[in-house]
Amino acid sequence: MISLSKPAKYVFIGKITLRNQLAYVFDFMVRSVFLLLILYIFMQLWQSTFAGEGTSTINGYTFKQMMWYLVFTESMVLATPSLSTRIEEEVKSGDVAFKLIRPVSFLAFHYAEYMSEVAIRYAINLILGSAIGLLLVGPLPVGVGLAWLPIMAIGGFTVNFMLGMLVALSAFWVEETRGLEFVYNKILFTIGGMLMPLELFPESLQRIGQWLPFQTVVYFPARTAVGMHLGEITGAIATQWLWVVLIGLMVWLLYRKGVRKLNVNGG
Amino acid sequence: MRSIQVDRLEKIFQVKKKQEGLAGSLKSLFRPQYANKAAVEGITFTVEQGETVAFLGPNGAGKSTTIKMLTGILHPSSGTAEVLGCCPWTERSKLAYRIGSVFGQKSQLWYHLPPIDTFELMSRIYELRREDYKQRRDNLIERFELGPYLNTPVRKLSLGERMRCEIAASLIHRPQALFLDEPTIGLDAVVKQRIRELILEMNREEGTTIFLTSHDAGDVEKLCDRAIVINHGGLVFNGQVEIMKQQFLTHKTVQLVLEDDPGNLVLEGVAVLSSSGSRLTLSVDTGLTTIESVLSALMASHRIVDVTVQDPPMEDIITRMYGTFVAKEAVT
Amino acid sequence: MLTADESYTGISGHDQPGKLRRLLRFVTASWRLNLAGAMEFRFSFLLTVGTMIVNNIVWIIFWGMYFKRFPVLNGWTLQDVMMMWAAASGGFGIMSVFFGNATRLANLIATGQLDVYLAQPKPVLLNVLISRMSVSAIGDLLFALFIFIGFGDVSPVGIVKFAAALLISSMIFIFFCVIAGCLSFWLGNTEGLSFQLFNALLVFATYPTAIFKGFGRLVLFTVIPAGFISSMPVSLIREIDMPFLYGAVGMAAGLCAGGILLFYRGLRRYTSGNMMGLRR
Repeated sequence: MISLSKPAKYVFIGKITLRNQLAYVFDFMVRSVFLLLILYIFMQLWQSTFAGEGTSTINGYTFKQMMWYLVFTESMVLATPSLSTRIEEEVKSGDVAFKLIRPVSFLAFHYAEYMSEVAIRYAINLILGSAIGLLLVGPLPVGVGLAWLPIMAIGGFTVNFMLGMLVALSAFWVEETRGLEFVYNKILFTIGGMLMPLELFPESLQRIGQWLPFQTVVYFPARTAVGMHLGEITGAIATQWLWVVLIGLMVWLLYRKGVRKLNVNGG
Repeated sequence: MRSIQVDRLEKIFQVKKKQEGLAGSLKSLFRPQYANKAAVEGITFTVEQGETVAFLGPNGAGKSTTIKMLTGILHPSSGTAEVLGCCPWTERSKLAYRIGSVFGQKSQLWYHLPPIDTFELMSRIYELRREDYKQRRDNLIERFELGPYLNTPVRKLSLGERMRCEIAASLIHRPQALFLDEPTIGLDAVVKQRIRELILEMNREEGTTIFLTSHDAGDVEKLCDRAIVINHGGLVFNGQVEIMKQQFLTHKTVQLVLEDDPGNLVLEGVAVLSSSGSRLTLSVDTGLTTIESVLSALMASHRIVDVTVQDPPMEDIITRMYGTFVAKEAVT
Repeated sequence: MLTADESYTGISGHDQPGKLRRLLRFVTASWRLNLAGAMEFRFSFLLTVGTMIVNNIVWIIFWGMYFKRFPVLNGWTLQDVMMMWAAASGGFGIMSVFFGNATRLANLIATGQLDVYLAQPKPVLLNVLISRMSVSAIGDLLFALFIFIGFGDVSPVGIVKFAAALLISSMIFIFFCVIAGCLSFWLGNTEGLSFQLFNALLVFATYPTAIFKGFGRLVLFTVIPAGFISSMPVSLIREIDMPFLYGAVGMAAGLCAGGILLFYRGLRRYTSGNMMGLRR
């Protein structure tokens, strides 16, 4: 054995750890390239659109706000891990029923895991997205909205968790849930307002969107962060948590039903 | 008639030099440094049509590289080769119609489909005449006893079953020469034996030249007339397997069961390979002493319950050969 | 010992006339096998095909809403954007379904998986490309056809134009990917880089060319030739713009020739994965 002096040892360990992180670095670079590409394209798209309209704002959004809106929504969507992959595994192995008997602890456990993972990834994506945003369109005028972002984001991610859980728990009844999760994600892209703010939607679609939980996930936090609808912050947060409770209840019922089915069938 | 002719064949790989540590990794990312590594260094040999030749050498000796050059997969750095009158790398396609190859690690079977489907594709790849193909296919199925799993997806077959299908697929166009790279790797003894029999059968009945690399001494002993041994990219032995055995069979293995524990045994020309209590395995160097004198020396002080004298396994002979050559190199 | 030439009776008819017919037989046999392999997992087959269609529909919805709000985008209408999606996803679909290994070439080269193809008496690049079928891309191909039927000009002239657009688009996709993959012959494993290049082509091919100006536009007609795909709706399908058509055909032919040349050049440097074994 080679004995290392203490500082040398830490440097050594540090280097090994860093090299193990290379896989993450690669993933990070892929995400950066993707974000850069998408933001560049949307910058071109909105530039052309603003020029075509000949106005400085579209539905109240300036060009800068439109771009930063996209930074915030993309950062959020790219930060969410797949619940279906995880839950499907647990349901198929039967762990879901034996590990955690009560639905509350089952949900709490997964919620804690989900949120901690999301926190790190979201922070990284925000830094990355902001760097790209600064580079392409310059800084966003700092306002009160930005201060509310963390709280709105927590609400948004919680709704997203509940909806994701609803999809994932259907694994009790259907063979494959990843397809469903994929479709759900695509709903977020469109009617959830990831690609463009809901205000730009046709009137009828906007009205439908207001009665659905999808707008609370990325649209609420992003529009607040860019300084829109500042008067409706309390209302928006209340809407988020109302949906959390409602969907949470459905998840709870679904879980109990599912576990009972598992017990009857003997797993 | 010559089947394979190799003249001063050489293959040099450019290897990216990997530098120590993270700083080194980064440096080599931007300004890579290359080193030349000779995998095959100017080897020359010939193989006659219908011969069975074992191509041997330790790991990294250049066996696979050579076989890949002979089948047209790799281009050599210098030297020439002719297989069935074709230059493998310039007349790759023409040659491919007449040779078969089995690479133990790289399957040509379609993983999710039954073997029969791969056979069908093979018939299209080799442009076989329909009637001839069907006859050949049925013949191989019977010979290799593939009937039971002909319609089972390859992923569900055992390794042995898969290898049988693999070899059958490589024979479907009735090649004149068959190249096999580690055909028995990972198989159990019974399956290995069966596969050797099948290969030998093809050689006897159709005059197919067999050229194989193997780590398995059994493959060499049971299957091949001749052995070509390379080490560090160069040729070190080329001759009959029998001669190789005589030349390098300087040791015998003696297994003993004594009535008591002999303790520390010291005899000239004898090495203790293993001992557990009264059971002993000795290696006797017949150049220094004789089996007779070793046994009589033992009988003088111990009672022998059981004794067997064996030639060491081929494995050891080959290992010893490499050892000898390494030693010679060190001296010169 | 047997003397080969007297006893050997080959059963291959490869030296007979009719080479092209037999080559086509081989190609179709390979495609048939691919499809059979995909059908082994029928349920996930339908699922992946379905998800791809859903994925594309999202963009149709996005553009639908966009054009509802802003009727024209630098001269482009919703129909143009739809036809652009048809040309891009159709070209991508043809590549991934019929020449599915195009996007995996870098990996195959770096990990030495060309051996099997090199040992077979068929054109190596063709053999490699057709040996895999991306199941999900069947969804993209179907999607392209649906869009064309729904939004396109389904007249004889329209069909010919659309077929030409698909042909050029798929040629650009295939040989751009081949060239990107061939980098592995010289640079070691470039899987990540090659994929990013392909991804850039795919992403840029699905946004109206008209929104890009200056340097971005230059890139789209040179390094990442997505512009030749995304301009199809206005410069070929709406009305034929001869200089564009020459450019697109030239680009497709150039990539094709370049890709084939590069691949066979690279084969001489192919190491069959031995590089890794020699790392010290």
